[in-house]
Amino acid sequence: MDYKYTKDCIVIKDKTLSKLDEFVLDFIRILEKHVKYVIVSGYVAILFGRNRTSEDVDIIIQKLDFNTFNRLWLDVYKNFECLNTHDLKKAYNDYLLENISIRFSRKGEFIPNIEIKVPKIELDKWTLSESKKVIINDSTLFISPLELEIPYKLYLGSEKDIEDARYLYKLFKKYLDTKLLNDFNKKLKTNKLFIRYIQ
Amino acid sequence: MKTPKIDLKELEKMKKENFQQRLEFIDKYVEWLKKTPNKKWSKQQKELID
Repeated sequence: MDYKYTKDCIVIKDKTLSKLDEFVLDFIRILEKHVKYVIVSGYVAILFGRNRTSEDVDIIIQKLDFNTFNRLWLDVYKNFECLNTHDLKKAYNDYLLENISIRFSRKGEFIPNIEIKVPKIELDKWTLSESKKVIINDSTLFISPLELEIPYKLYLGSEKDIEDARYLYKLFKKYLDTKLLNDFNKKLKTNKLFIRYIQ
Repeated sequence: MKTPKIDLKELEKMKKENFQQRLEFIDKYVEWLKKTPNKKWSKQQKELID
């Protein structure tokens, strides 16, 4: 894989986009007009070539007021629909404000879908503020910093998560901020898993 | 770079809540699948997997 990794971004050119990539990019193009976001979890590894798929893509968005959510909703609803409810106020009050994620798919479809949530804890806020820019062909998106993504995957702990963590580490290890990675491993108590499965 | 304070109890609670939401979503998907023609759901599955 040819890529350029800098402090500010990761650039990958000439990627043949999968249907999942196209789905995510189509959604992101709408989302980014209204709110700051960061893609977290499984799709991050898939984006960088891991050979598996996912029926959902997790995204954290900045907390937003009802009017902003209203504009986002109307824009999204041109091509997508909410799987939890078609009621805008319910989606905002009963889901987002209650820290329950909401899912969007293309109209008439169920999978794949985008799972959106607002920051619940400090870690979510940090991920959002420190997101890493990725340029795929001519499209830009923001992902969780890999120095967090890898330990967090270990913390989640399923075989799939550990494999994703190892994949990302092996792919990008010479560029990762080791101090930051170690700090998250320490805070998430994933040091042993890191030594056992990743290094 | 300064990293955030991580409360593992809070994180564990969030993990459990997320898992619960995912389980509920599976129920919703199965409900949808049961009332959706094979051609339609399998087309979506094919597009995701292929």
